Amino acid sequence: MSRLGLAFRAFLRVLRDPAFAEQVAHPAQGEALPAPPKQPSRSDALTLLSVLQQEARLVDFLKESLSSYDDAQIGATVRDVHRDCGAVLERLFALRPVDSRAEGGEAEVPAGFDASRIRLSGNVTGSPPFRGKLRHAGWEATRCQIPEWSGSEDAARLARPACWVVAPAEVEV
Amino acid sequence: MSARFSVGIDLGTTNSVIACVPLDQERAKVELVPIPQLTAPSTVEARDFLPSFLYLGTEAEAAAGHFDAGGKKKAAHAVGAFAQRQAAEVPARTIASAKSWLCDSRVDRRQPILPWGAPAEVLKMSPVEASRRYLEQLAAAWKAANPKAPLAQQEVVLTLPASFDASARELTREAALEAGLPEGVVLLEEPQAALYAWLAEMGDRWRQHLKPGDRLLVCDVGGGTTDLTLIDVAEEDGQLMLKRVAVGNHTLVGGDNMDLAMAHFAAAAFAKKGVTLDPWQSVALWHSCRVAKEAMLNENGPAKHAVTVLGRGSKMIGGTVSVELEREAVAKLLLDGFFPACALEDAPERRRAPGFKEIGLPFETDTAITRHIAAFLSAQGGEKGPMRPTHVLFNGGVFKAAALRERLLEVIGGWFGGRKTVKVLEGVHDLDFSVAKGAAYYGAVKKGKGVRIRGGTARSYYVGIETAGPAIPGAVRPVRALCVVPFGMEEGTEADVPGDEIGLAVGEPAHFRFFSSAVRKTDAAGALLSTWKEEELSETDSMEAQLPRAKGQKDAYVPVRFHVRITELGVLELSCAGTASGERWKLEFSVRRDAEKA
Repeated sequence: MSRLGLAFRAFLRVLRDPAFAEQVAHPAQGEALPAPPKQPSRSDALTLLSVLQQEARLVDFLKESLSSYDDAQIGATVRDVHRDCGAVLERLFALRPVDSRAEGGEAEVPAGFDASRIRLSGNVTGSPPFRGKLRHAGWEATRCQIPEWSGSEDAARLARPACWVVAPAEVEV
Repeated sequence: MSARFSVGIDLGTTNSVIACVPLDQERAKVELVPIPQLTAPSTVEARDFLPSFLYLGTEAEAAAGHFDAGGKKKAAHAVGAFAQRQAAEVPARTIASAKSWLCDSRVDRRQPILPWGAPAEVLKMSPVEASRRYLEQLAAAWKAANPKAPLAQQEVVLTLPASFDASARELTREAALEAGLPEGVVLLEEPQAALYAWLAEMGDRWRQHLKPGDRLLVCDVGGGTTDLTLIDVAEEDGQLMLKRVAVGNHTLVGGDNMDLAMAHFAAAAFAKKGVTLDPWQSVALWHSCRVAKEAMLNENGPAKHAVTVLGRGSKMIGGTVSVELEREAVAKLLLDGFFPACALEDAPERRRAPGFKEIGLPFETDTAITRHIAAFLSAQGGEKGPMRPTHVLFNGGVFKAAALRERLLEVIGGWFGGRKTVKVLEGVHDLDFSVAKGAAYYGAVKKGKGVRIRGGTARSYYVGIETAGPAIPGAVRPVRALCVVPFGMEEGTEADVPGDEIGLAVGEPAHFRFFSSAVRKTDAAGALLSTWKEEELSETDSMEAQLPRAKGQKDAYVPVRFHVRITELGVLELSCAGTASGERWKLEFSVRRDAEKA
């Protein structure tokens, strides 16, 4: 429909219809727009924690006191937790070194380098380029795929919302 | 609107994968489509695999929104990684191996029978419906990734085992159409898809690796099944061409059996330490064993590998126990259990079935894959002697372990004069994703250039005809088998079945027993068999046709002949045509259709 035609029809209707005239004078803010997509009702941090617990038992591991076990016993546990945590990190973040050069080797820092990717330490004076040793290759995520929480709104409104549960209690019947 | 993508779907027994390739680009790469799925209650994550499991939750779980995903509210079940996890902890509510049920003609596959043996309050599903749910999830994944290219408008290729007979194919197609796949969905055999994936990787270089006279054994060992196919390389008009010459029977033994065997072995070691494992720990053990298997059975694998089971409950470290498995013992267990040295004349052991056997999936009693291969090569060769492969193409995650690949080559080579007589097909073998990727590639080359594997039907089909003559009390009337589809009948062809006319009753459904054979390759259409060896022909769902009585028709019988058509999509259509009237009636698989469709 042409906007000119629409303008005329609106004009006529404002004259005839007081309620419509009121709506035109004071449009209700955003009412006609579709509701924006709901934000997940749970923090991504909790979801990540929950994944690390479910797949790698990380929370169980960190919450247990190490004082009563010898290193061999702890070591046996760590191998599994380490393997499974590593798999989660790889799947969700695909971490790669920021700097592909070998650690401990000579490293040149060019002029105009990105300070968020390279952190300088030691005797930092003058202006780049700098020469130095690569002490740490850094890490960067090449993706970020935290699972999405799809829990119900009702559950989130309960006194003790489901979204706060990192791992449910388990009862075998 | 014409298709923009070719989409390959591998509906696996334990894992499903979807891949695609754009049709409007030259040499485009085949990519996997990420599959969003429930990985935990109310938690959705995209993965490359969709585990083919379905968990039928409790009302409390559904009400709490545990299975809500993709805008669905109060969903009653979950498909995918979460369901797979539940399979071990709540087996009575979890459907697994729906695909193996789909080709089991002893049960009605439209009836809600799964999970098999589940308690009455669980709302069961039919194998067809479970398959449909998996495909729906894959279709939803496609929609999420490509909202502007509806799946129903793309070129879609769905893979199925080479051993699926006509009725299992039709049920798969039925599930596919109900899940919103296009009417023109093409069915492709999985081992062929694996070879297409290899062809896609190799490009034109494939011709350097195969020459006329070569014979390729595709050995596809999935999670729960082993699928065998032989493909010949021939020359025609100066061009190399590939022809599928034989497929094996449906064999229910696969990688899961190996992990399970190893887990049992490890569990025995734990038992010696006085540790008994609960189901949750058993799953963890299974997982650890798979990791240990892949590490140890590779070249230069460690001689020992610790397998650990973490303590149950939040006191984890204290309850952790590990055992050390020795490479030698594990290799012996898996190699001798699943790939033992054997003679080419050996047949899989068939232990006498116990008198009272609970009906369930017909799992193989003999887990020796080498013996199944020996029997396959011998049966296919027939009187000319066993068929000898020159190359092997491996498929399935099992073959990540180099020792298993090497053992298989040793055994096969040994049958024909030594290890050197058989080669691995050189090039990239993507063991996990090649079926879906190859299917997508096939959809792209199907219409244009690029090499295609020819083969036609993998089986010959027969209609059982009761012999006429006086009934003898107590004796079953002998049945003769009329060949209606010869082995290797090509897609896109049709034919009248020659031979005598058959009288069909009008006004009531006419039932036919229906048989198929993967080994009788020389029977022509119209051949009438009066005797055959038991293992040669296997009976599948019966077929039926209802012929209406025409007005004024007096005869109770009309003379008919059979007519057969294989569509371009690989669907077998059998009809009978009245020799006098020329009318045609389609024969349908008479699987009962009264199963409730949810």
